[in-house]
Amino acid sequence: MFVLLRHLGRVRREIALPRAQRCGSLALRHVDAGSCNGCEHELAASANPYYDLQRHGLGIVASPRHADVLLVTGQITTRMVDPLRRAYDAMPEPRLVAALGDCAIGHNTLGDPAQLAGPLEGILPVSLRIPGCPPTPQQIADALVDLMLSSRSSKIARCGCP
Amino acid sequence: MSTRHVSIVPGLAPAAVEYVRAREWRMACERQSGAGGRFCGLFAGRGPMGLQANCVFAHADQDHVVCASAPGGEIDTIVDLFAAAEWDEREAHDCYGLRFDGHEPLRSLIDHPAEPDAWTVPIHGHDAYRVAVGPIHAGVIESGHFLFAVVGERILHLDLRLFYKHRGLQIAAEGRSLAEGLRHVQRVCGACAVTNTVAYAQACESALGFTPDRQLRQARTLLLELERLYNHLNDISAICAGVGFAPGATAFAGFKERAQRLNQRLSGHRFLFDTVALGASTLRIGQADALAAREELAALHQEEGRVWRELQFAASLQDRLDGVGALTRADAERLGATGPVARATGLRHDTRSESPRLAYRSFTPATLLRATGDVSARLNVRQIELEQTFAILDQLLSSRVTPGGVKPGGAEPGDFKPGDAALTGLGVARVESPRGETVCVVKTDRRAVERLHLRTGSYANWPVLVCATRDNLLPDFPLINKSFELCYACVDR
Repeated sequence: MFVLLRHLGRVRREIALPRAQRCGSLALRHVDAGSCNGCEHELAASANPYYDLQRHGLGIVASPRHADVLLVTGQITTRMVDPLRRAYDAMPEPRLVAALGDCAIGHNTLGDPAQLAGPLEGILPVSLRIPGCPPTPQQIADALVDLMLSSRSSKIARCGCP
Repeated sequence: MSTRHVSIVPGLAPAAVEYVRAREWRMACERQSGAGGRFCGLFAGRGPMGLQANCVFAHADQDHVVCASAPGGEIDTIVDLFAAAEWDEREAHDCYGLRFDGHEPLRSLIDHPAEPDAWTVPIHGHDAYRVAVGPIHAGVIESGHFLFAVVGERILHLDLRLFYKHRGLQIAAEGRSLAEGLRHVQRVCGACAVTNTVAYAQACESALGFTPDRQLRQARTLLLELERLYNHLNDISAICAGVGFAPGATAFAGFKERAQRLNQRLSGHRFLFDTVALGASTLRIGQADALAAREELAALHQEEGRVWRELQFAASLQDRLDGVGALTRADAERLGATGPVARATGLRHDTRSESPRLAYRSFTPATLLRATGDVSARLNVRQIELEQTFAILDQLLSSRVTPGGVKPGGAEPGDFKPGDAALTGLGVARVESPRGETVCVVKTDRRAVERLHLRTGSYANWPVLVCATRDNLLPDFPLINKSFELCYACVDR
């Protein structure tokens, strides 16, 4: 265990992430509405020691009832429309929806039109678009930190500083 | 009945296609398994005489496809001969309306009927209750629904309802050019993108009568192993996370990040997207870049080995793994398990050892000293495979990588001629993904996709997961699930 912890300490020192601007927090809930799993991998990677999304106060929560932001990935399939709406309805106000990745934004979607419900914008009000196929963990982290800083005025981010 | 036979280098031959009448279908399939053929998937399609059932069998020398027309929309089931055909028959029924005589009850798989009886196994008796999970899960996971039948904490049965992400990619590819078909296959799954596209490209090349040259084989093998590297590192991290062992999960997530950064440097994409093309490879890695990649891989290998040894002595991790989610070798064989899941039970099958279209020279499948088939074995087999992958990558990067292409015919003189295979217009390819054997069948019609069928390693292994969870504790399910680490996207398509 000692070698393992020493390894992790060394990794952290070598990455030397800059100090985060701690100005509140946002609770994120992710819904996969028909993605290829690429966006999920990159969103999960944004929590690894190389990006450490949590140091900004951005954490992924288990339930939409605890979330400020709904991160939606994938081209929306007809079967996921209902679960997606129910997740959104479960979120407390104020709430935001972010389209994560090109598919959710509605770019270059492929597939049988009978199985797809169209872009996310036609289903939920989208306030943030994070392009990329898939967006890199750095792009995800940057977009979410910007969202947190800009939404302080709208009282979405729970502000911890004066 | 007509059979076409071509004599060739083992494995390089285009698949033999056997057309039989509906009433000979079962017998023809039985004959294939009697001749040593391994069931590799069943799919429906539309032929000139109405609905058609097709079944793929893998042989050491040449794959075999049995096709039968079902004019009345009904054909005999083969699920009693091959238990692995269960999902395939249910899918063929849901997508094409093909009925299987004797498969009772034929529960829906892709369709999502509201009433539970239509898709679940009935549970009777006192004290049994149901626990429903999903389709949206608590973590950053793909969407799918699990319905457990439980007594106390013990799982009696698990009903899976996947296909929430069914995008109809296979149907959408029909009628399009082969190159456009590749884009559809690329979109199926991000984590298996290389495997799926290589399988599709090989199937197309096989259907058109081409074989890859040395450079193309080298480039594709390199990409496949880079994909396996980051996936296996991710899976070990996931198993650590499954027991809440955060230091191990964090360390391996860091290794995965390094592997993905290497992908970015070598191919321009962290998931190696758009690196596979039909009949060609544009991947170019110079001597200096190859050397730098080898050094990075050697450093990664050393550090990974050091952390892996630490995991062996972490009691809070190891104590949770033994005997959990155990799968017997007989069950694995019967249900058609594949990949690390099958090798963890002692089955010695790895498609890499029978891939003449790739550059795996004298590859030997990973074997465990104690093939117990449980979570512990599935973790250990991945580490052995990582060692193999590091060795293969080191060898492939010992020279520069240059663009490659295809040549007509087989590798030896006297092989089939181009155009010969185009008579059938049917290509079959089998490629080992990080999760098991992926089978791709492409029916071509004048260089367009007539029918595309992708049966991934995950597709083969989901029903096996159901078997492995039986009689385990419900709180252990996330760990068992992570030790399989199957894709939903690969299955839903």
